[in-house]
Amino acid sequence: MRCQVTVLYFARSAELAGLRSESVSVPQRLTSLQLWEEIVKIHPRLAVIQDQVIFAVQQEYVLLGDQLLVLQTGDEVAIIPPISGG
Amino acid sequence: MGESEDVPKDFIKLKSEKLSVDEVSELVISPNCGAVSLFIGTTRNNFEGKKVIHLEYEAYTSMAEMEIKKICRDVRQKWPSVKHIAMHHRLGVVPITEASVIIAVSSPHRTESLEAVMYCINTLKAFVPIWKKEIYEDEYSWKENKECFWANSEK
Repeated sequence: MRCQVTVLYFARSAELAGLRSESVSVPQRLTSLQLWEEIVKIHPRLAVIQDQVIFAVQQEYVLLGDQLLVLQTGDEVAIIPPISGG
Repeated sequence: MGESEDVPKDFIKLKSEKLSVDEVSELVISPNCGAVSLFIGTTRNNFEGKKVIHLEYEAYTSMAEMEIKKICRDVRQKWPSVKHIAMHHRLGVVPITEASVIIAVSSPHRTESLEAVMYCINTLKAFVPIWKKEIYEDEYSWKENKECFWANSEK
């Protein structure tokens, strides 16, 4: 089963992907690492930042790894490079 | 009449206009507080020998506001006497010497507001999805806070 999520790109990830947001079809159930791999298939240039980024899924941080995600159409998935506020 | 409305408040703002120390400190002033503590983050003009022309900030705005609200909630748990909290962060282009962030906290006595302000800026740097780009003469660099909560974590 797949669903349509909104992927948001910020900072360096937006520069590498060449855009700030897009709608992407992904499996509903997958690990956070698998989700990353789906996105890198679309934007291979993102691979260089794999070790630095995490996700925010529905505005909750998720590390790249084994965490199982259950996504729904319309969910917001943000690529979060290392932050530098303040 | 107005005093009954002096309930503890959080003032959170992300904006592209110049930040005002007067405005932020006035937000937190309260009749039964003897202390207002303030932090101002300003833009340095150099980094590792390179001249910084200006900074640019971007944010995942909706999530940044939520994370800042969580910081305010945590402050009130740790320092229950804290009255008002204001956290203003600038987005977009920030010229040298201008403020990127202003944090103000009021409390009856000074210890709590001083400690709370430090907690606010340290936690903001670790958790709030805001990014800073330093623009030099010939290049630019996306900065990374050492406080970033997942920095150096094993994947």
